[in-house]
Amino acid sequence: MKLRADLVLRTIGSDHLIVDPSQDMVDLSTVYTLNSSAAWLWEQLKDKEFDLGTVVELLCENYDVSGEQAQSDAEILLQDFEKQGLLEK
Amino acid sequence: MIKSAELSQTRYRIADLFLEFNHPVSLPLTQLLASFRDFQISSTMDKADIVINISLEAPPVTDDMGILRTDESIAWGDRFRFYEKGDQFITTIANEQANGTWYQYSERNFEQSTIYVPVSSADEQSAVITWISMMIFGQASLLHDTIMIHASVVNHKGHGVAFLGKSGTGKSTHSRLWLTHIPATVLLNDDNPAIRLTAAGIFIYGTPWSGKTPCYKNEKLPLKAFVRLQQAPVNQFEWQPGMKGFIAVLPSCTSIRWNKDLFSSMNTILEKIIAEVPVGYLKCLPDVDAAQLCHRHIFSK
Repeated sequence: MKLRADLVLRTIGSDHLIVDPSQDMVDLSTVYTLNSSAAWLWEQLKDKEFDLGTVVELLCENYDVSGEQAQSDAEILLQDFEKQGLLEK
Repeated sequence: MIKSAELSQTRYRIADLFLEFNHPVSLPLTQLLASFRDFQISSTMDKADIVINISLEAPPVTDDMGILRTDESIAWGDRFRFYEKGDQFITTIANEQANGTWYQYSERNFEQSTIYVPVSSADEQSAVITWISMMIFGQASLLHDTIMIHASVVNHKGHGVAFLGKSGTGKSTHSRLWLTHIPATVLLNDDNPAIRLTAAGIFIYGTPWSGKTPCYKNEKLPLKAFVRLQQAPVNQFEWQPGMKGFIAVLPSCTSIRWNKDLFSSMNTILEKIIAEVPVGYLKCLPDVDAAQLCHRHIFSK
């Protein structure tokens, strides 16, 4: 899978966000907020082809978490990305 | 074909960007664009940033207009359509007599456009060309660290304060309260100012577009603050740090959503502006206390 190339992660002060413009006739853009670890992962994953294993590996290498915890966190994150339409179709 | 001898060039400088019109001599552009008067410059050798050609010839219309992106328009109601076709955006507005149509063909980044004029009165020509040029400027300026916003702006002792809010919230009313009750305050623009990032800081500019208020000042001021207004039964001011500030200003910024480069550029400019300019949120009544409370928070900071 791949992150949508048209979305840009933005940092304002200590906040991280992504603005997704609506393509419908109604102008309602969506703003997603990311915590610092999700934002860090976004930067690592952007422009790359990746899978669940990539995310688990990144979490294990850079955070003090068990493999089990990393697996579960990665699954939740990717489900969120999928559900919110942040992945390339 | 119109011979080049019959074409005239009229140039304006708006928010330090060069806007050039190429139009038939028979179209009295400077009279039609009365609100642009203070922005006119003599022709220079500098390349224009934005070029708008105006033609009295028949538009190159084909059956396939491309994808209809929107037909929502506060200004034109049912008369308006906006299409994306290949690497062009096409805007159409039915003329007043309903026997012809205005066509505007723009490149994707709006640096070059052509407006085709149907049968129309001088008043209609003035209204449509003024509006279309605002729409074009709002997009093309994004490539030049400049963003147009929907706001009423006051000049208080040489500093700009921009009031934001949905239509009908009372932006103009709040500006009026400042003009009346806060000494050394005048109006800069009542509807569509431009904001530009420069090496010397962030400036807000008057433009030839100011909604219903004829206030077309060719002036720039350092931007002191944004304030988003919301009608309420009380007056209450709160600063919106970081992301909250960004989200408070975003809905007031101009960009079409169908050119992702322009949309992304708008967000990048806004991100830089928000890093420098504070954003407040004012719940308010339309009264003198609201203006004084707002003034106190911004200018005691």
